Amino acid sequence: MRVLLVEDDRMIGQAVQTALRQDGYAVDWVRDAEAADTALSAGRFDMVLLDLGLPGRDGVWLLRTMRGRHDTTPVLIVTARDEVSDRVAGLDAGADDYLVKPFDLEELGARIRALLRRSAGRGESVFEHRGVRIDPSTREVSRDGEPVTLSPREFAVLEALMLRPGAILSRSQLEDRLYGWGESIESNAVEVYIHGLRRKLGHDFIQNVRGVGYFVPRTDAQEDR
Amino acid sequence: MKGTSIRARLLLSLLPLFILAEVVIGTVSYRYVLNESHELFDYHLRQMALSLRDQGAVLPPPGPPEDREQFDFVVQIWSADGSKIYLSHTRSRARLPERATLGFADVVTDGERWRVYSTLARGRVIQVGQPFEVRERIAASAALRSITPLLIFAPIVALAIWWLVGQSLEPVERIASELKRRDAQRLDPVSEDRLPAEVEPMVRSLNGLLERLRRAFETQRAFVADAAHELRTPIAALKLQAGLLGRARDEASRSEALRELNAGIDRSAHLVDQLLTLARSEPQARATPAAAQAADVDLARIAGDAVAEILPLGEAHGSHIEYKAPEAAPLQGDASALHSLVRNLVDNALRHTPAGSRIAVEVAQRGGAVCLSVDDDGPGIPVDERERVFDRFYGRTAGDAAGSGLGLAIAKAVVERHAGSIELDRSPLGGLRVLVSMPRQGGAPA
Repeated sequence: MRVLLVEDDRMIGQAVQTALRQDGYAVDWVRDAEAADTALSAGRFDMVLLDLGLPGRDGVWLLRTMRGRHDTTPVLIVTARDEVSDRVAGLDAGADDYLVKPFDLEELGARIRALLRRSAGRGESVFEHRGVRIDPSTREVSRDGEPVTLSPREFAVLEALMLRPGAILSRSQLEDRLYGWGESIESNAVEVYIHGLRRKLGHDFIQNVRGVGYFVPRTDAQEDR
Repeated sequence: MKGTSIRARLLLSLLPLFILAEVVIGTVSYRYVLNESHELFDYHLRQMALSLRDQGAVLPPPGPPEDREQFDFVVQIWSADGSKIYLSHTRSRARLPERATLGFADVVTDGERWRVYSTLARGRVIQVGQPFEVRERIAASAALRSITPLLIFAPIVALAIWWLVGQSLEPVERIASELKRRDAQRLDPVSEDRLPAEVEPMVRSLNGLLERLRRAFETQRAFVADAAHELRTPIAALKLQAGLLGRARDEASRSEALRELNAGIDRSAHLVDQLLTLARSEPQARATPAAAQAADVDLARIAGDAVAEILPLGEAHGSHIEYKAPEAAPLQGDASALHSLVRNLVDNALRHTPAGSRIAVEVAQRGGAVCLSVDDDGPGIPVDERERVFDRFYGRTAGDAAGSGLGLAIAKAVVERHAGSIELDRSPLGGLRVLVSMPRQGGAPA
């Protein structure tokens, strides 16, 4: 999952970035609204974590700009101002949820997961597909009831694939979800993670279309090969 | 209000005046009536004497004294041989002198003063007399009559004064009760309409004071709100940093998280320090008069100390700090405030310049002023932002330099307290120049 973090405070930005990376998100961090706008125009993000109080143009401006060009990327706003009017202004400008500073890392994680779930059109917090169960909140994975241990990046790849079974994700799309800007990408990293996942979940669980990408087949019946 | 009640003062000063007026009026009318009655009665005496003379011997018989008593005239007729022919009153009191001076005469018999008119006619001396007491009695009663209405009027005037004063002071009472009902939060002006001209200046000054108070309160409230908001950011960072420390699984990430947490605590402590310094520096926030902190100080020495203190920080930053003070720079001021002024300016220069920058601090005397300049070769501040950077928390938006955003606000407050000026300009070094100028002597902190 690729998250755009828009935060002007160095320490908060640093801490959030570190925490989200530990959770397996790819995090890109920008420090003002205009840089965020550029980033959003250039690339695809699964969600935006937006501080409303930014130098220059503020977070509400970014929200309006995004929604103005029909960018529906989920946005979680973070604000130090806890007046109801500020939160209402943010939500009305197109935010999906909000957090008031200071906030807890665990709460941030839970809200991000909820937002991602809703944007994928799912109500339930646990995904189950062909005997494999993943719980994004606890990051627990099991196969036919047996716990499976995954590295954070293996989990991120699996989560991306299971979010929309049947959808093919290219190697670069998967890399996008794994790495933020400035993180070094090993050339065969995705293959390594896919290999690990297949070893732990069964070879057939993830399939690839050569030259196109990887996918999790929707159901046995719908497999068309 | 005690001691000098306007009502009591008016009553106490007007009533004696009233009484004095009555005395004057009484005396004047007494004198006037007395003079008038002299003329009138003298005329009567003369007429009576002349008519007695012309009447010849025909005289009313001496009757019972009661009848004639009221006229108070006594008639005495002598024959040429000096024997008393007629005496109208037989009472012992009414005795005219045995000898007569012709015309008017004032005589005293038996302790009683008489006005007597004597005339000669056919060998007889006719004397008509009247005691002065009668005339005085008439004058006195006339005087009393003239002051009676005033005496009756006096209590009415007193009541009227009482009531009028009460009426005139009603707006004062109204304002007093309006103010009494207020709590500390209500600082809007008192209504100025329907006020007497004498009370209006007082109410207007009161409203001026209320307005100044309201503005001071508002500044203070905004400051507290700003401060609380600004504290929220470092606290949010601390919470996240502590969260990261809690979830660190290995030694490397734990020590990294700990380092970040420490930096976060330092930042919060710095912000709190700066807030305190600012609160101490702002003139309106001071409980003690500024003059209490004023002493003869040498800015050259204070600046030298401050630069020496910050030098290690500059070295850590890789920047070069120069200090130049060719002579002592004496002024009247608060040493610790001036120290924080220099520190904040140099600190500010360090925070907003890249590593390896040059910062030059200079203290000099120019005319009647002591000047402090801090130059750097950093990016400077655009002209249109130069006023706003003095606002509290403005500098915070400057990205990487995790300043409190209070440095320049503190500097400005300190300089203003020392009746000086602070300006931003382009430095000869290429970056920002901060120029502070404060009066050299006799410049007690404002």
